[in-house]
Amino acid sequence: MPVSRRSFLGAISPGTAAYSPAIVAARGREAFTAGGAAPTPRSEAKILLDSNENPLGPGRAAMEALTRAFVDAGRYPTNARPSMGDLREAIARRNSVKPENVSMGSGSWELLRIAVRLYTSSSRPLVTAAPTFEMPEKMADQLGIGVRRVPVDKDGRLDLDAMAQAARWAGLVFLCNPNNPTSTLHPARAVADFIARVGQESPETAILVDEAYHDYVTDPGYATAVPLALEHPNVIVARTLSKAYGMAGMRVGYAIGQKHTIDNFNRWGITFNQNSLAVAAAIAALDDHAHIEAERARNTEARAFTTRIFKDLGFRVMDSQANFVFVDIGRPGKAFKEDCARRGILVGREFPPLEKTHARVSIGTIDEMQRAGVVIAEVLGGSRPTPAGLGNGARRPK
Amino acid sequence: MTRKEADMSFTRRAFVKTVGIGGAALFASRREAWAGLLQGAGAPRPARPLLLHNNENPLGPGEAVLESVRQALGQGGPAGRYPFEHVAHLHQAIAEKFGVGPENVTSGCGSTQVLRVAVQTFTSPAKPLVAGQLTYEECAGYADLIGTPVRAVPLDRAMKLDLDAMAEAAKGAGLVFLNNPNNPTATLLSGDAVDQFIDRVHSLAPDALVLIDEAYHDYVTDPSHRTQAARAVKDPRLVVARTFSKAHGMAGMRVGYAIGHPDTIKRLDWEGSMALNVAGLVAALASIKDQARLQRESARNTEARRFTIDWFSKAGFASTDSQTNFVFVDIKRPAKAFRDTCREQGVLVARDFPPLEKSHVRVSIGTLDEMKRATDVFGRILGVTARAA
Repeated sequence: MPVSRRSFLGAISPGTAAYSPAIVAARGREAFTAGGAAPTPRSEAKILLDSNENPLGPGRAAMEALTRAFVDAGRYPTNARPSMGDLREAIARRNSVKPENVSMGSGSWELLRIAVRLYTSSSRPLVTAAPTFEMPEKMADQLGIGVRRVPVDKDGRLDLDAMAQAARWAGLVFLCNPNNPTSTLHPARAVADFIARVGQESPETAILVDEAYHDYVTDPGYATAVPLALEHPNVIVARTLSKAYGMAGMRVGYAIGQKHTIDNFNRWGITFNQNSLAVAAAIAALDDHAHIEAERARNTEARAFTTRIFKDLGFRVMDSQANFVFVDIGRPGKAFKEDCARRGILVGREFPPLEKTHARVSIGTIDEMQRAGVVIAEVLGGSRPTPAGLGNGARRPK
Repeated sequence: MTRKEADMSFTRRAFVKTVGIGGAALFASRREAWAGLLQGAGAPRPARPLLLHNNENPLGPGEAVLESVRQALGQGGPAGRYPFEHVAHLHQAIAEKFGVGPENVTSGCGSTQVLRVAVQTFTSPAKPLVAGQLTYEECAGYADLIGTPVRAVPLDRAMKLDLDAMAEAAKGAGLVFLNNPNNPTATLLSGDAVDQFIDRVHSLAPDALVLIDEAYHDYVTDPSHRTQAARAVKDPRLVVARTFSKAHGMAGMRVGYAIGHPDTIKRLDWEGSMALNVAGLVAALASIKDQARLQRESARNTEARRFTIDWFSKAGFASTDSQTNFVFVDIKRPAKAFRDTCREQGVLVARDFPPLEKSHVRVSIGTLDEMKRATDVFGRILGVTARAA
């Protein structure tokens, strides 16, 4: 799919002109490199494609709300205006649920860890995928709880059939949809069938659906599992504002489920796990529907552009429904990562068991992806032809 | 303070009319503009009750601190990045302040996270937690969650933590929690007394970690006080917790930290630094370098504290010797009725603290002006206006 600079700009409304990617990226780097005496590789890097962040950060409404909240920075987030309670209501409003169905975390990682606490034990293991987001299995390891890792299929999709079988007598199934790092999606029907099947075959087993990348999905077959979480006491949906909402630095995540389920999550959460400024920013962001639409459109274009770069280089890219791509580079991810880092581009860490062949690259702005593409082509290209749009003098793909 | 208490403090309705500060003031950075923001001057917000229930610094962080947040976050970009490096920068700055290395520092989402992780990593069903019966409850609350038994040691007659009894209770324990000064009693244990206590616990309970929570350290004026941070970096069985929520005025920013021996600090990294947000990290980094402001805040608090204690004393109600930003007062009646009436008259004071809920109330120290207004209300409720005036 051709991507032009013009269509990219067209996806952004005139009101957001201040968020020109080049300006923001430069500002971000300045802030990072100016931060301290002992810069680490991340602050020295030119382009950050390693952590699946939104390269533009929060929208204008969120940042204005954050600044307005300065006046209450000295108040606990329950006393600040707006308060944590107001954020809970905003999350509920955004998801058409009641506040009692919402538990907040300092990022969704906290809720993933709580789920492992609540539902697994030495006799009831965790079922997860390989590879997938590692936080639940890391928590299980720390607690000495068994983990059943179910390999993804050849297309990088979670093997729902094998996971359902592994779920028998398990305490918790972790279902990341779309899956990080493979970027692939299961449609609404497949998730509903999976939940129904596990509910029948292993009724005590809980299922945590991690929808961190929900807002980046473009596949029309997708639907959130939130309605299922409201129906089933053992189903929970986790979300985060660290991705499309551009607030990875602010640490806001949440879980949705039945009231009794959510009450249990609330008991385990870190006391005051929200920053007062983040609360204000998050409320504004959740109510700023246009900003999320624009961010999804921006990511979709940059994702298509990035996918095209790798395909033109001759590599297989999994069907991404997220803000990163997972690519079969046919060589160890470690060397690729190090070669890119030497050239100022950070890409994702290794993801066993696919670390010998695959790499994860987050989607930055189109401008960043074009510059990264040149480096990636150098690192991986060898004698391969230069992809369209990355050659000498070609500013943008046509 | 517990989450439940705080959740009940306010309703959404009370805030529903909240109106934003004018756009022009948003990016104001000059001193007057910030002062105006912080005092609410010109801000079309509805009157809010006096918040004397959560031991917050009424002035919040300094203008320079907030300006550093505004600059660091710019128009948004960095707010979208995971703040791993900011964590490292803050640890470095804290280490420099204490003259130790970054390997002696860990941080958390408020000191609450540090306290919870200490309970997680140093206690078990077989290794109890020892704490005062009337002290900050975060550790005991988390112990209940994970099935760790809690040995709650009653206060002594001076309403101080009973160090002898706590040392005895430490035998076979995993963690001994000492809040100094102690919340909610506001009392301090001298540096010598704490030193001897640590020695005693080490000899009676060689495996137990002593956790000293020095949340109110910067408000102490008693010269017998000593931080245990210097000892903690050399002693793997001692760790000191601190917070930016009190004198630094950053309760909303959620940053706390611990100082200790590298082995202990490593164990306290159980949850990583994922809970730390970039605004709080940037603010903490700016605030920890501003020692002058901390001293001004301590002086301000000392004056308002003196006024409050004197007022209660003249009215016939004894306070403990407060070394914090709150007072613990024997009002000779149940706290609940007093609190409810205060709330009706626009002043919030703290929740019940059993077993002293029938006689004592905790009142946080606001600004001197706020304390004058609050004591007017207290006088009416306690029926002592004339005497106190």
